[in-house]
Amino acid sequence: MQYALLIYEDESVYGPEKNNAALQEIAGKHMSFSQELGAKRLGGAGLAGTHATTSVRSANGTRTVHDGPFAETKEQLGGFYIIEAADLDEAIGIAKRMPLQLDGTIEIRPLMRG
Amino acid sequence: MTQALDATFRSASARIVGALAARYRDLDLAEEAFAEACARAAEAWKSATPERPDGWLYAVAQRCALDLLRKREVRERQGAQMEAECPMDEALTFIPDERLRLIFVCCHPAIAPDARAALTVRTVCGLSTGEIAHAFLTSEATLAQRLVRAKRKIAEAGVPFEIPGPNLWSERLDAVLSTLEVAYSKAHEDAAGAGPHAAYAAEMLNLSQMLAELLPDEADVLAFAALVRFCEARRPARVDAQGCMIPLAEQDPAQWNRALIREGDALLKRGFALQPSSARLLQAGIHAAWCRRRSLDEPPPWAKVLVLYDSLVAISANPITRMNRIVPLAEVRGYDRALEELENLRAASLEDFLPFRAVRADLLRRAGRAAEARIEYDAALALRPAPAEKAWLARRRSQIQ
Repeated sequence: MQYALLIYEDESVYGPEKNNAALQEIAGKHMSFSQELGAKRLGGAGLAGTHATTSVRSANGTRTVHDGPFAETKEQLGGFYIIEAADLDEAIGIAKRMPLQLDGTIEIRPLMRG
Repeated sequence: MTQALDATFRSASARIVGALAARYRDLDLAEEAFAEACARAAEAWKSATPERPDGWLYAVAQRCALDLLRKREVRERQGAQMEAECPMDEALTFIPDERLRLIFVCCHPAIAPDARAALTVRTVCGLSTGEIAHAFLTSEATLAQRLVRAKRKIAEAGVPFEIPGPNLWSERLDAVLSTLEVAYSKAHEDAAGAGPHAAYAAEMLNLSQMLAELLPDEADVLAFAALVRFCEARRPARVDAQGCMIPLAEQDPAQWNRALIREGDALLKRGFALQPSSARLLQAGIHAAWCRRRSLDEPPPWAKVLVLYDSLVAISANPITRMNRIVPLAEVRGYDRALEELENLRAASLEDFLPFRAVRADLLRRAGRAAEARIEYDAALALRPAPAEKAWLARRRSQIQ
């Protein structure tokens, strides 16, 4: 099965700057984690912060453009992996090893089967 | 006839649903096929019951599963191959035992805890949604919906139909046991335990026994099986003739079921030999201490119970355990000390927890603080206790001087 692992963290732990040490450190951890996953990792990316986020919202059929993410929450979607795993237990095992700066949540979503 | 059929269906349910679910990796299909086989049996067995009713059910259920698969048009995926491998006579003599696998699927931590408990008693014990809804104090429609959601989650999230490996074992076994504890507390809550609950409680005895047989070297599994036995042993003495709950220390031990207590003691002994310090064993040990009382003439074992609670709090200090410890503490060290410790627990958001209110009301009443006790009893009664407990709280409130 294929799963998306969605990484939610408090983005403020990485500070406002683009190239600070915390961000470089976590990027390094993700690189080695990706290597470790090898062929099990099908894809993924880190996402720019919510300051760079724009939403298009549809209400009563009218689409409007907004500044900011879908919802203001304590933790924000900061990146994702697409992985291949035999079952949920394997996906959970991978999610448990996901690098995080401090605390956070890894949401495990099966991809819809074609 | 119907009752005998019902009993056959129920006892065969876990084995057959488990075997079908493990083979087809589809809980819905397994349940549907088993229900269809039961419906056919009700017709076919009118004249005579077959020699091996469970084998008959398994063979027919396999055919029904294939029919269902065909209807779902996934035959090309698995059907053709499976069609060849379920000869009737083989099924009649051998049903693979997949119950443990089934329990691990139903108790997977990715399923909501309440739904896990309902799904387990539905699938593994074969209880009807009506019976479960009654025990869970919810409507049948709500419960049915919860079960549908849980099964969808299993199918769509890819919950494996496997017994977890060593690296996941302790986490997953803990999920199984906490699920069964939720399931059992539903049977235990209503002290009267009459009607549909009687069947439910009996199934919990069976289920815990089954698990203890399947996992004989797991101390916590033995502790759970022992706990259910100690609690069920006392069921006949939990309610008086007026339907009012009788607290443990006032129950007549002569009415307790000694055979069940002996079973519990034996399980506990095996458990402690495997692993001397486990919270679940200590908890069961507290019940065992009570069950050793032989008559109302013997003093209640408060001191022994307090010692056990002290050890328990040392390894698992959750607020409910700490609250339960207050009861023997009051008997051994006095009400004032107990009330003082109870105050410290207030912050632990137990305000809406019925036992917290009931314990506090009882302590205030016995400490002679009448006005506060009345307020506390009213708060407890407002939390909608079960009928037997409600009667007891109301009686105690009326005894305030």
